[in-house]
Amino acid sequence: MTALPGTRRLLITWATLMGLTVVSMVSARLNQDDWQALPLWSAALVILATGFKAQRLLMVYLNLRAATPAWKGTFVGLVVLTLALIAGGYLAARLT
Amino acid sequence: MTPRALPNPGWGPLSALPGNPLMWVLILSEMLVFSAFFALYAWQRASETAIFNASQQQLEPLMGGLNTLVLLTSGLCVALAVEAVSADRIPRARRWLGGAMALGMLFGGIKIIEYADKFAVGITPETNTFFGFYYGLTAFHFAHVLFGLALLALVTWRTSTENVETAAAFWHMVDLIWILLYPLLYLLR
Repeated sequence: MTALPGTRRLLITWATLMGLTVVSMVSARLNQDDWQALPLWSAALVILATGFKAQRLLMVYLNLRAATPAWKGTFVGLVVLTLALIAGGYLAARLT
Repeated sequence: MTPRALPNPGWGPLSALPGNPLMWVLILSEMLVFSAFFALYAWQRASETAIFNASQQQLEPLMGGLNTLVLLTSGLCVALAVEAVSADRIPRARRWLGGAMALGMLFGGIKIIEYADKFAVGITPETNTFFGFYYGLTAFHFAHVLFGLALLALVTWRTSTENVETAAAFWHMVDLIWILLYPLLYLLR
């Protein structure tokens, strides 16, 4: 049994995840009635918020912070790779 | 980290991971599978940009956002259940697991409403490539939610630290996949 995150850290993480979700929704301009492509900085903010959410979920909810740096790097690297694919596809669609 | 401090001694490279090592193998493989689908989606989007843009307008990103908040809160409940069962507070752990399952079912209910709305206006997986991905990816994820709910129900009945930790890891993986899926399908336009 490894050291668990503790209630306080879990609650802080939950609040962070909720906040970042709202930031993503605001960045994506969901309040606009007309459908328009996002400015690139908004899209970048959505992707950055998503990456940070995934990192927090891995480290705290899944308690990966108790693992070795190699495993942390593997999982965070896979998230970064996935987000790079998403961002790359998005940019390719925007630029064509 | 010294060998004595390893969470799962005897599991070779996996011994450094917390919780059940096999669950981490599953998490890694699921992440790879979904990443491959995301790459395929990105590729298709670049070649059918107009169709993807027009189709994406017909989704309801607020519903997707609400579902994200619901699933993340459910994840908190599961994490608190792990804390409780580790402190030998079994009834409290079961209450947290019950809360997580209720929120998981709420997620499923919202998803079904979304599907019903789409089908009502004639939007099916065969409408176009975008909706093929939309239904395919979200239904595959939904199947994981249903399996996760069954796992949570099982460990609510057979409550032990190892069982709850294992089910919790699966549930968090379901969270993680949705976190990546939500902006891909609903937000980035």
